[in-house]
Amino acid sequence: MNRRAFIRRSLQVAALTAVGGLPCLDLQALPAVAADPPLALRKGTDIPRLVRETVAALGGMRRFVKPGETVVVKPNIGWDRTVEMAANTHPEVVREVVLLCLEAGAGRVRVFDRTCNDPRRCYRQSGIEDILREIPDKRLRVEHMDRRAYHELAIAGGVKLNRWSFYRPALEADRFINLPIAKHHSISGLTLGMKNVMGVIGGNRGVLHRGIDQALVDINQVVHTDLTIIDATRILVANGPQGGRLEDVEVRNTLIASPDIVAADAMGTTLFGLQPADLPSVVAGARRGLGVMDLDRVRMV
Amino acid sequence: MNGLRRLRIVCQLGCLLGFFWLFVATEYRGLDELPYPVSLLFRIDPLAALADFFAPGAFAWRLLWPALLVIVATGLLGRFFCGWICPLGTTLDGAGRLLKSPGGRPRPGLRKIKYLLLLGLSAAALFGVQVFGWFDPLSLFLRTLTFSLYPVYNLFANRVFDFFYDHQLPLISDLVNGAYPFWRDHLMAFQQPVFALGLFTALVFLAVLLLEKFERRFWCRNLCPLGALLGLCSRHALVRREPASLCSDCSRCQSACRMAATGSDGHARSECVLCFECTEYCPAERVRFGFHSREGSGQVDLRRREVVTALAVGALVGPTASIAPAAASADSYLLRPPGAVAEDEFLRRCIRCGECLKVCIGRALQPAWLDAGPLGLWTPRLVARFGYCEYNCTLCGQVCPTGALRPLTLEQKHKTVIGLAVLDKDRCLPYARNEECLVCEEHCPTGRKAIVFEQKQVLVRSRIKMLKIPRVVGKLCIGCGICETRCPVEGRSAIRVTNENESRRKRDGLAWKADEKRPSA
Ligand code: SF4
Ligand code: SF4
Repeated sequence: MNRRAFIRRSLQVAALTAVGGLPCLDLQALPAVAADPPLALRKGTDIPRLVRETVAALGGMRRFVKPGETVVVKPNIGWDRTVEMAANTHPEVVREVVLLCLEAGAGRVRVFDRTCNDPRRCYRQSGIEDILREIPDKRLRVEHMDRRAYHELAIAGGVKLNRWSFYRPALEADRFINLPIAKHHSISGLTLGMKNVMGVIGGNRGVLHRGIDQALVDINQVVHTDLTIIDATRILVANGPQGGRLEDVEVRNTLIASPDIVAADAMGTTLFGLQPADLPSVVAGARRGLGVMDLDRVRMV
Repeated sequence: MNGLRRLRIVCQLGCLLGFFWLFVATEYRGLDELPYPVSLLFRIDPLAALADFFAPGAFAWRLLWPALLVIVATGLLGRFFCGWICPLGTTLDGAGRLLKSPGGRPRPGLRKIKYLLLLGLSAAALFGVQVFGWFDPLSLFLRTLTFSLYPVYNLFANRVFDFFYDHQLPLISDLVNGAYPFWRDHLMAFQQPVFALGLFTALVFLAVLLLEKFERRFWCRNLCPLGALLGLCSRHALVRREPASLCSDCSRCQSACRMAATGSDGHARSECVLCFECTEYCPAERVRFGFHSREGSGQVDLRRREVVTALAVGALVGPTASIAPAAASADSYLLRPPGAVAEDEFLRRCIRCGECLKVCIGRALQPAWLDAGPLGLWTPRLVARFGYCEYNCTLCGQVCPTGALRPLTLEQKHKTVIGLAVLDKDRCLPYARNEECLVCEEHCPTGRKAIVFEQKQVLVRSRIKMLKIPRVVGKLCIGCGICETRCPVEGRSAIRVTNENESRRKRDGLAWKADEKRPSA
């Protein structure tokens, strides 16, 4: 049984037994993650090709998405900023990943993010809504978050959070593909894969900034990522996560991908001239068994 | 039903639906520029034009020329606007049917109230106090829609959708859930609108509707200042009714006319709204309308004493109200939408229509009660704790029909200062409790951030810890208020936007505030 199936089942059991109470998830009971995870790092200016090469290095999308499965692709669409400002995931990266999922036979691909600015503006301005609307496939849905679909969970074994609301479609999907953009972040240092998962939680996210590293691990243990692809085609090196000045953007033409979110984030730190140990959320994630931060123990593919 | 009457009803309903449609279209739907003239209703509003005429600064020709067309057309045809177009008139016709307005003898004495009101309001406007909007039927109509009816409709629709979402009924639920995204994106507000004055505004509207219980079109006959203005314009209109007064063998018109326009003293052109109903109910089918140049009774029945009194009251109340101390100096949190002109001119232009509040994408605008001064009732005020001004949005300036809010280009918008954010160090988490936060800095949208932070060593439980402490850079802050909206401290925000520095204020000196180039993106 993989982690995602485990989470889904334990939620169902919890919902059945705890009538009237909160469904409860026990983080301690989660199955452990694999050792020496594979990680792909590729460079190139042709984004569609770059995406395909990177995913192929990990064995192709069919390794992650099985025919008929529901896949959530979660880019960063947080800000009302245009593509060149590097505040949101590059629309071409999103499109190519979505296409790969569709080609792998996904039954449904859902794309959403809980934005910081007005959602309609972010979806438009990021270019993601427009580019995905051009894909004529009924299995694909670019949707705004449905305010009714948030669900509060009790988190047994959470270090910072013992309850929080989560976006149900993200928990219920068979696969969760995490598509962050690599950015500087004034509070958490950098925003990479683990931080991007904050886009599928509800509640007042502002309060999480106190002690954010452990909170991020808690969240990531609940919402398990099957594949993280960090978009570093251009990165934001200052004034993140929102940016707004071209001076703060650097073009890197790079993608980092791994099924291990901590390993991907650990590699992501090197884009900014840092070490994995410099990013507290990576350290906390590794310590709590979410993944591997030691780049020597990562299998480069 | 004869042709003209049917045409009129079709026209009334068509206009009503058209205005509803423009109303629903007054929302961001993916385009930075609204594709429709959503505030058309006010651009054809002669009262809005009158208000603008009395305001300082140039008349907003660009916006209000259609209102002048309406005035000219009224001069030729008569009060067709009231009978054929006005959405409040149509609503009142409907309400009259529902409430079964009594027929019977009209009270012609009440009629003059509307003229006196118009004169009083005009005199006040001349002396610096413009409150046409409180009584303008189109403002009344639209702001009731905006503040009360539309939010309630949304609430109701959401409840229905939620019900089928929570209770998985076979077949129906799938259908309803499938319709929800389309409905939300096209026929509802994207987010539930929330307005402070919803109940009060609805009660005023309800009162106007209930007046139908006394007379048909009570509001239009007796109270409406727009009706009065159009009535004055139509004194020499060319469309006349035959016969011009009651027939000796019948006096049906006296009780049946919705405007009581035909009485023993003849057919009052300034009261007739050209509904053409008399062509139908006249048992002898005598009534005809046509173009005649022959003089008839176009008189408005006003005594000189009354006129002088109305003007004097207006001229007295105007200046008296305006000597009150400026609300903004007592309340530093009184913010206006970006693009608002200087407060004095703003109050004299704004006709309290609520268009800007309807369109605001950030749900930042709220109607003022008495908190913007006694004259500020229903004017838009930006309450940053409820919502913030979206950095790349210019919608409110696009919809304002009177030039109270100037349309801004995106570049101008980025430099328009709504106010200045000020930290409350007693509540701000890093300052007051040595806790990490910086949510305000994260959300600050200006390219060079107007909120910066400094690293500071603090002692937490006898251990030294580095803490990031926010600080506002005055000359970069545009007062959009997102920091205040998003501040995670519960209740009153630990950072609040004050009206200091606002661009619209006339001030001397302090060159950087007005002149220094702000980074535009
Ligand atoms: S106040 Fe700001 S967000 Fe609201 S409509 Fe005006 S420009 Fe847009
Ligand atoms: S400021 Fe707002 S309420 Fe006032 S006239 Fe303009 S759009 Fe209408």
